[in-house]
Formats: sequence, structure tokens, C-alpha cells
Amino acid sequence: MFYLSRLEHTFRVPPSLLSLPCEEVVKGELEKLFLDKVIAKLGLCVSVYDIRSIKGGFIFPSDGAPTYTVVFRLIMFRPFEGEIIAAKLKESNSTGLRLSLGFFDDIYIPVELFPIPSSFKPDPNKKDKGTWEWEFGGDPFIVDGIDEILFRVRSISYPSIPLEQPEQAKPFAPMRITNAVTTMRYVCVCLCLSAYQN
Amino acid sequence: MKILAANAGTLTNFEVLDFLRSKGAAKDSTRVLANVVPSEYKVYDYLVKTAACNQTKENIKEFSERCKKFDLAKAEVLNIINMRPSSAVGVYPIVEQCADRFEDVEELVELVTTMLPPPPTQPESEGGNTQPESEGEKTQPESEGEKTQADSEGGKPKEGTDE
Repeated sequence: MFYLSRLEHTFRVPPSLLSLPCEEVVKGELEKLFLDKVIAKLGLCVSVYDIRSIKGGFIFPSDGAPTYTVVFRLIMFRPFEGEIIAAKLKESNSTGLRLSLGFFDDIYIPVELFPIPSSFKPDPNKKDKGTWEWEFGGDPFIVDGIDEILFRVRSISYPSIPLEQPEQAKPFAPMRITNAVTTMRYVCVCLCLSAYQN
Repeated sequence: MKILAANAGTLTNFEVLDFLRSKGAAKDSTRVLANVVPSEYKVYDYLVKTAACNQTKENIKEFSERCKKFDLAKAEVLNIINMRPSSAVGVYPIVEQCADRFEDVEELVELVTTMLPPPPTQPESEGGNTQPESEGEKTQPESEGEKTQADSEGGKPKEGTDE
């Protein structure tokens, strides 16, 4: 789920921070720049792991602040294809499920990748929402958000920033994980176990 | 910004949790004092509920030594350490072509259940003790020796797995 990535970045440190130790200031600036942001192809940045080198500190002409070139490592959240992850249900509608990890919410399971046979029961109160039910061995298992869902990662996509968005569109997601619910036998026992626990 | 190495090493959930703990993340109300950003806390809250919260470095090292004989891919070992499957059914999705590669999946399952401590609310076996699922209640780890030990290096960064 997590990888280390080594990056190099050149940035300017505001003069107001120059009284603090250099390493602390650099780390703070890196955290402001990268934490909780998605870098294309690398994933979601979770934390600054360490700083390998800080070079520079030159003040360019007509600028009042030093510029540093820093090599550092970031902890990136980037699941690999085929990884099994446990997540909670966030939304359930006719196009599929949306899951959440707490720190990452754009995990989608489209209808085509559900175990067969599954059926959708629309909610009479809210249009578009509803619950999914999976039948196995004659028993229906309802995906109701109480138990965790284990899924296998199918693909990760990094859509590019749209220039314009229609008014009702969901907030833009720079990183989307699409998944398959795992093999029937597994999901069955997983749901059985959780039902037993409850 | 230049990417020097997109993959400078994989981290298990435990290693990330350990790193966040060494920064000062904790479950109690000292949150505002620690040097940890709210977005890091969300990751901490997620990881603390998984199997990673009771693991130690020694557990993981020993487990990866012992499962070399099963000839598993690195990704599969990582998945097993993160998910801690407690039964054969949990191993099947993780390991590709499980039935062909192992005659006895139970051996691997037994290795997992003996070497790696269970997560906070997972029962040990299918019909095992059902723990009440209450928010914020963590069950004690199986034995004293398996409690996460304070890292002797303190808050200093540790070497990644591969460079």
C-alpha cells in the first residue's frame, strides 16, 4: 500500500522563517507543499519520511529569500494491482459502490465487477441510492456498511484536471482506484465471519 | 519538482504506523501537542485498526524468514503481513494459483497465526471468542513479548527496505 519515493525540489523559503533551524523550516515547507496531495503516477503523499540533502541557500538577484534544492523521500499511498485492502462503505448506488479508507475516499467498485448474482434494491426515500445484495448458497448477504469490505485493486487512474466542470458534478478526484470484489468464496466467508461477530 | 526514484522501497503498514508513532501520533488527547498533521492522523486512525497495530519488527522479520520456503512473491508476502489472513480462505485471493502451488495451505495459515499477532477485533479462528465491537477498545496483544517496543533509534529516520 505504501511506497517510498525519492524526489528533488527547488523552492524558496520565506524570510520570516529564517530564524528557525534550516532543517525544520525545509521540512515544514515540504509538508505544506506535498502532504495530502496527489502526485501523478506516484500516488497520494502521506508524510515526509526524511530529507537526504539540502543544497543551495542562494539569494537570487531582486529576491529577498533564499532558494534551496532539497532531495527527500516521501511516503506515498499507492496500492499495487492485485493488492487486497479492507475499506468501509461510503456510498452505494445503482452504478456501484464507493468505499473509503478514512484518508482516501475515491475507491469505486463498478457494477460489472461485482460477484454474480447481485441485485440492487433502490432506497424509496432517496433516489439514486440503495443497497446491494449478493446471493450465495441461497442466502442473501446485504452490503449495508456495517462490515468491512475486502477488495482487490484492479486499476488506478489519475484523471487530468478538467478545465470546466458542470455545476452538479462531484468534486474533482485526482486519483481513482477501481476494484473488483474478490472471489465469491472469499467474500462469502468474509461476510459470514463478520455476521458471526455481530 | 523532479522524481529521482518513483519506487525507493516498499513499506509494510507496520512500518508506516511505526513512523507515525515515532513522530508522536497517539490515540489519546495529546493529539494537539504532537507534530502530526490532521491528514497524517487519518492514516494513523486507519492503520491502528488493522493487523499492523500489534506487530513488531521482530515478528515481521521472522515471518519473512520462515515463509521463504513457500516461495512467495514479495507482493504476496507484503499482502499477507498487511492483511494477516486467519484462515485458508483469506490466503486464496492473496496468493495466485494457490491450489497448484501448495499442497497444504493450512501450513501457511498456521505460520501466519503463530508468527503475527491478530488485529484488535479479529477472532482467532472461525468459531473463536467473539470480541464486542466497541469504539476505541483495543484488546490486549496475545503475550507481553509481542507489544510494540519503543524504537531504539528514537525519532531518527530508518533505512528503507531497498534503495
